[in-house]
Amino acid sequence: MIPFFVVLLICCFGSLVLQHFIPPLPFLEGARVYLMPLVFFYGALSLPFSLMLLLAFCCGLMWDALTTLVYPVKGVPTVELMVGFSVILFAVLGAVMSGFRPLFQRGRWEVHCLMSGVCTAAMLLTEFVAITVRRAAVDGGGFFWAPEIAWRIGGAGLVAMVLAPVVFFVLSFLARLVGYDPRQMEREEE
Amino acid sequence: MRRGNFVAIGIFILLFGGLFFVGPSGTQKIQSSFLGLIAPFLKTGSNLEKRITAVRQGLKTLDQLEIENRELAIANKELRATNLMLRELEEENRRLRKSLDYRERASFRLVPARIIARDASTWWNTLKIDRGFEDGLDVDMPVITEEGLVGKTITVARNASTVLLISDEMCRVAVNIEGSRDQGIVSGERSSQTGSPVIGLRFLPKMAGLQPGQKVYSSGVGGVYPPGLLVGSVKEFKVRELDSYATIDPAVDLTTLEDVFVVVGKK
Repeated sequence: MIPFFVVLLICCFGSLVLQHFIPPLPFLEGARVYLMPLVFFYGALSLPFSLMLLLAFCCGLMWDALTTLVYPVKGVPTVELMVGFSVILFAVLGAVMSGFRPLFQRGRWEVHCLMSGVCTAAMLLTEFVAITVRRAAVDGGGFFWAPEIAWRIGGAGLVAMVLAPVVFFVLSFLARLVGYDPRQMEREEE
Repeated sequence: MRRGNFVAIGIFILLFGGLFFVGPSGTQKIQSSFLGLIAPFLKTGSNLEKRITAVRQGLKTLDQLEIENRELAIANKELRATNLMLRELEEENRRLRKSLDYRERASFRLVPARIIARDASTWWNTLKIDRGFEDGLDVDMPVITEEGLVGKTITVARNASTVLLISDEMCRVAVNIEGSRDQGIVSGERSSQTGSPVIGLRFLPKMAGLQPGQKVYSSGVGGVYPPGLLVGSVKEFKVRELDSYATIDPAVDLTTLEDVFVVVGKK
């Protein structure tokens, strides 16, 4: 189990690097391709709850370290979304995914596919709402919405659904390679 | 729920609680360290991407090569003629400057940098460059190209930095408008219908009456950006209830940038 956790952690880091080189999709109003959440969601389905939490902590921290903005408000440096925001986000979504683990362990691979799309969109929507609330507090503006925002959120979810089987196949192969089988573990736990 | 899960949740809460005490400077340190860790991978990826693009672009048919060769020969002749003319103008310019006792303009100390990665997030407009504090970079340094303003540095690691682009909503530049006494603040829009970055000019007086094509320059107010850097040109002007607003065409094509300069000080 631990070697597979390490493999997943390396894959999360690698996919975070890789997604920097994937341009936004113009036909989906600039929606992005997110690979790291896909890897994490696979981990959430295949790892026990405790290791999922640890993976959520690592992924969330990496995500925040790369994306969070620090900008001055009235001359004072301010963090837009605190480091740890994504840790909670990953943990909550991971917990939701964990709920589907029994289905996944019965061989229903489409759970990863569907839920990855839903959770990626949910993650982006939460980020968007948090940023909007934060910026409204700083600038005194109101709620902001535009159709292309819906496209970017939903589009990223759709792309995640399309890519999920590939990620599933690769990670399942890696799991077998390090001798880890989520189904076997479930039987042992029972 | 198993006992082990409660223990895991407890440890998770403890770890997460630790992050509550991380302030802005701590956040910047975490970001700087992680950027330092990820930078070699981004650089390798960027080099690989360039090689693949070069190979893809290099594959041409004989017909294409023949056409290209013919076009290059014509362009070569044109450039030779232009070069000759420019040499004469250069000489004339030198003579005139000398005679007017022209004082050299104060210029900036620039550090050239290569873009190693574009931002991978939906809500922030940033890019990563291959220079860091070892090259004299610091936070809040303007980033430019020969065409105009690009943004400013926000996270600086040893050999890499993150640049916040002017197309980001949180990157604000105080500006002057060519041929007008009006001033405003330029910042990006969170969404754009065209897919390409859109920047807006806010806090303009209602009677500003800007015309499309008018150039917009940094005013130097705020201290981050030196005055006189070209930000873009007015694309569209709208009068609103209390003020007016203009859409700006960025001077620099932010989607195809490859190399930039970081202003590290004055010469």
